[in-house]
Amino acid sequence: MKISLIKFGDILTSRPAGRDAALSLKAYMKPKKNEPLELDFKDVISVGPSWLDEFLAILREEFGKKRVIILPTTNPSVIESLRVIDGKN
Amino acid sequence: MKTQTKSQIVKIITKKGRIRPSDLAKLLKITPQALHRHLKSLVAEKIIQSNESPPKTVYEITGSPDLEKIKDWFCSSKITQNPPDISETRDVFQGRLSKFKDLKKSLQSDNLLALIISTAGEIGNNSFDHNMGQWSDVPGCFFTFQISGEFLWVVIADRGQGIFKSLSKVDASIKNDDVALKIAFEKQISGRSPEKRGNGLKYVLNNILGSKSRGIACHSGRAQICYGDLGMKCLEEMENFPLRSYGTFTLMCWGIK
Repeated sequence: MKISLIKFGDILTSRPAGRDAALSLKAYMKPKKNEPLELDFKDVISVGPSWLDEFLAILREEFGKKRVIILPTTNPSVIESLRVIDGKN
Repeated sequence: MKTQTKSQIVKIITKKGRIRPSDLAKLLKITPQALHRHLKSLVAEKIIQSNESPPKTVYEITGSPDLEKIKDWFCSSKITQNPPDISETRDVFQGRLSKFKDLKKSLQSDNLLALIISTAGEIGNNSFDHNMGQWSDVPGCFFTFQISGEFLWVVIADRGQGIFKSLSKVDASIKNDDVALKIAFEKQISGRSPEKRGNGLKYVLNNILGSKSRGIACHSGRAQICYGDLGMKCLEEMENFPLRSYGTFTLMCWGIK
């Protein structure tokens, strides 16, 4: 199941906003059992680690880390945010 | 630049930050016509630049930020009411952050824009994350950015509790502003422990150190710190700021040409 992050805005910063986005997604999204969640950052201008950390923590807790997949992106704010959150690209 | 008058002009502008031609003429005791000739020459040499339109024209050293307004707000001993350009809430700050999108043409790089916005976002959001209910008087943060010469300057400041007060609550071994400021940038720690946080300033530092022509200087409490190739340049711009026991002031410089 692909999730377009641009639907949450083109600038994604702050922990409260990341938490709100994840909780909203949890409430309205009903993936099939074991279906992966593919996060697509296409058209998003910028993402901060606080937003992404909060967003991923909630989704990973709910669906498991392996099911939450970040689709390849060249956006350096996504790449660098993941580097500080997970300690890798 | 050869003449003595031109050299004097540069010294005065460096010291004052920005100055009107009429004030400059009085200080130098020369005619407006003679002054205009020197200014025109210095602008052509890209040593100084003019800002605003006549009759409000002011001159400043090329590549320097205008910090006068923020200095008044940040350095005042007491403020009872914020001017309208202060972001009193996180939502207002978030809205103003999107003004960076206007720079898309000037920067000519979506990648650089992505990093600038997220870096400024982390710093500005810290103002709210760590000072809610802890402001020294007025709430909110001052946020502005400006292109000057070959640089984009970003200023974010608050009149909050400062980094030392925030971090010393979670780590009693942090004894002063200097240690707190260094740890805030270089280690994973958060004043909001036990919440799992504390990677925002590490992200900021990675981005500043990730390429040449970037710098950051931060002043919190009675300490200052700088990082990056342009870090000292940022610190020099802040040298006239009195050290306050409260608040945090951050100046970033990004080379954009």
